[in-house]
Amino acid sequence: MKIKAVYTIFLFVALLILYVLSAAFTNFLKTEESVTAKLVTKETVFKAGNEIQLTFELNAQVFTELLLHYSYGTVLISSDLLDKPKFSIPEFIVNKKGMVSYTLFYESKNIYQSQFFIEANTTTPVQLESYIGPPSIIAGGNDYTMHVVVPTDTYDNPLPDSTAVILKHQFLDIVNERQVSSKDMLGWEQIFSYEESGQLLLSSQVKETYSKEHAIKVFPAFPEDFTISYMRKHRYADGNQVINFKTSIVNDQYGNSISDGTMVNFIVKNSSGKLLHTQGTIINGSAVAKMLHPDHEDTWEVKAYVYGMGESDKLSLSFAKVLEDFDVNFGKGNREIIVGPLKSFMGQLIPDGAMVKLDIYRGNKKIETKSESSSRGMVRFLLEEGFFGAGNYSFKIGSMGVHKEYDNIVIQ
Amino acid sequence: MIKWNRNIYRSFIIISFIGLVIVMLFGIGQALSYLNTGADRTAMLHLTLNKKPVYFPKTSWNDTINPGRPIEKQTLLDIKRDYLNAWYVRNIAYQMNTIDGVADYFTKSARKNIYKTMLFNKKENVTIHGTTINHNLHLDFYSADGQLVVISDIGVKEYQRTYKEDVVLVENKTRSNYQVMLMLEDGFWRIRHMVKKNKNEILDSTQRLSTQAKVVGDNIYVDEKEFQIKGINYYPQQTPWDMFGDYFDTTVIQKDFEIIKKAGLNTIRIFVSYEDFGKETVNSTKVNRLQQVLSSAEKAGIKVIVTLFDFYGEYSVLNWTLTHRHAEQIIRSLKDHKAILAWDIKNEPNLDFDSRGKENVLSWLDEMIDQIRVFDPNHLITIGWSDPESAALLKDKVDFVSFHYYREQQDFENVYNKLTEKIDKPLVLQEFGISSNRSLLNPFGYSEKGQAIYHQKFQENIQKRDIHYLSWTLYDFIKIPNDVSGSLPWRKQKQKYFGFIDASGNKKPAFEFISE
Repeated sequence: MKIKAVYTIFLFVALLILYVLSAAFTNFLKTEESVTAKLVTKETVFKAGNEIQLTFELNAQVFTELLLHYSYGTVLISSDLLDKPKFSIPEFIVNKKGMVSYTLFYESKNIYQSQFFIEANTTTPVQLESYIGPPSIIAGGNDYTMHVVVPTDTYDNPLPDSTAVILKHQFLDIVNERQVSSKDMLGWEQIFSYEESGQLLLSSQVKETYSKEHAIKVFPAFPEDFTISYMRKHRYADGNQVINFKTSIVNDQYGNSISDGTMVNFIVKNSSGKLLHTQGTIINGSAVAKMLHPDHEDTWEVKAYVYGMGESDKLSLSFAKVLEDFDVNFGKGNREIIVGPLKSFMGQLIPDGAMVKLDIYRGNKKIETKSESSSRGMVRFLLEEGFFGAGNYSFKIGSMGVHKEYDNIVIQ
Repeated sequence: MIKWNRNIYRSFIIISFIGLVIVMLFGIGQALSYLNTGADRTAMLHLTLNKKPVYFPKTSWNDTINPGRPIEKQTLLDIKRDYLNAWYVRNIAYQMNTIDGVADYFTKSARKNIYKTMLFNKKENVTIHGTTINHNLHLDFYSADGQLVVISDIGVKEYQRTYKEDVVLVENKTRSNYQVMLMLEDGFWRIRHMVKKNKNEILDSTQRLSTQAKVVGDNIYVDEKEFQIKGINYYPQQTPWDMFGDYFDTTVIQKDFEIIKKAGLNTIRIFVSYEDFGKETVNSTKVNRLQQVLSSAEKAGIKVIVTLFDFYGEYSVLNWTLTHRHAEQIIRSLKDHKAILAWDIKNEPNLDFDSRGKENVLSWLDEMIDQIRVFDPNHLITIGWSDPESAALLKDKVDFVSFHYYREQQDFENVYNKLTEKIDKPLVLQEFGISSNRSLLNPFGYSEKGQAIYHQKFQENIQKRDIHYLSWTLYDFIKIPNDVSGSLPWRKQKQKYFGFIDASGNKKPAFEFISE
């Protein structure tokens, strides 16, 4: 019995040693043997949106992970199966065109590395994005707009190069169509303006998909030189009437009349060399500007400009004197000065508002200038006691180009 | 008692009234400031954005000829800036699993892809720390109205480190080609389409054309002659750890170089501080001073090992490109300098393993070696490991292996023998020495005599095996900055007395054994 017990213990110990050894040995084997993988999936090119599964065959039952690097980022996916891991590529990667590089990892060690391609899915309906600009161009064939069309599949992937893109445009009676091959994700065309101004309509088509209608404004080109004319009620310099200046129809070199709102500046040079200025905007091809008649005899030279682009011929006109002379009466101890009646070209009283200027001098020194506008042909100046003490004054009175002087007037 | 109660009620009412007023004022203020957001001009025009670039991969416009229309220089700059920003916000999105800023640089349809990818990773608890190293941009198309471009980005070198539940899983480097469509929206060039394209093999332009220094087997060669490094780590006596600062003086440095040369040494090691030299926008004055030092060394017949990135400690993947630009600016301007023997990328980077993560530090060093090889094919590259145990790290990438040894002198031979078994490249004992800081406070420290004996014995070792060496250091210092050895007085005190020459300029006994 005793011996038996010894044997069993011995056997037990021997088994234990064997077990430990074998465990150590298998462990040793495990670490030595490197895990290798083989790709089972044959395809390397897929269409966007289609399911993709990558299957590998491993030589060991280990847990592996797959790192995917695609156009928009990197993700890590894992598989439950150990010896034959199958990885389903997430939908958001499957849907996007481009190369997907992947690396199969086992315990941070790269055991398989390759890539597959996802192509735009040309079987899905085409989506079009059109970009057109500039939105307004100038007539005459030098300026152009560009029509860019980006055709994509349903998953928002640009269609492959050499996709046929049909670009169309309409202008007046012209309807044009051109087919281009897409390159670098897009198809494009330059559309040069025609000689006429107007509206250009653009559209495009890829396969069965038609785009919306897009409009481009074609504005007239730069104005050519033009002529101006004037209109006035009479030729007298009464400082009261308004004279109108008008341009001829302003055209560009192709005969398009210039757009409404274009500013025309009229410059008037009077006989004393001063420049007067008025302006108008073009409406229906011509511009009108207004100016008040001068209040004295004068000759004007008028020229109009669209600055930097076109200018008019020179226009010359003169204004006749309306006032020959006027009376001046002193009263109330010379403190009241009454000018008038001011009579116009037919002897009528000058319309209200004619300016009369009074310069007051005391001992060769101008002490004040008073201006009043006429009412019923008359103007009255009052020299108040508080401001003008008693003494000897001189006056200069002027109106509508007539000047009169009164010296040594004694004010009480 | 009643009076008391009344007072309590009173104060309660007054306090609650004041509180109510405060809350109301605060509420009104918040409402007003909310209504103001987006209305101010700086926000509308994005003037406050892009103030300071934070992402600097090497980027160039290689080809801007395109069928659409000629492109303006400013537009090229704008596109480049916004395109890089797009990569930056994308990197951040995957690193933090957030979407901050993505909307600014991707159009509505494009950003969906980023969001989906980010959410997938977030669900799996995966974060990806990534950066791009370079971009080579080609303009494929620019539309007439200047609102749309298509560019190709060829040979984009990307580095990514994937973490799952904050554990590093894998690290990978890829080179990819992208074609990208961008649109000008809201003042931003936003990515509309991004397609990763077929790889075409790009040859790395890292061929070594001319070399002033090279390594063959165990030996270092300079100008085709075998070179034995007998050197010393150098700081001027007055300005330790601030060699290129306001007190920079070439006459002092020149004199020191003469002392070093006369002492029989042929090499020095100097330090370039990352921050001090201006980080990603390198300060040209400092580079100029470095150049003067190198020229003085050349005149004195001394070779220089330049240690870069001193006191740099960021290492994060997103920070890489900034350090690349730092290195590029310094190295490109000095790459032909005859005085340089080697670039030491970083002093004792292994000390940052614990605080910054070993994988962060090593991958940063790894990439930096590749970068420097491109910037300067003429000189050698090494890393100054602080202990012999770290020396084998990245040994296949450096030209020679440097390590520091501050342990018992008698163990050195053993350690060195072990290293030679592991490493088949030249080994450089880049720092060693002992402080003669025996004093009343530190009775067990070495005396100046003890220091001399230590160096004498070391020189015997060195001679026996023909070891490349650089000792620490020429001078005793009076002031040690806190960054160097901490603020503890006994540590600082020790750091002051490593020199062969004392603070007042007298040669210590050890000077006799500064070289063999």
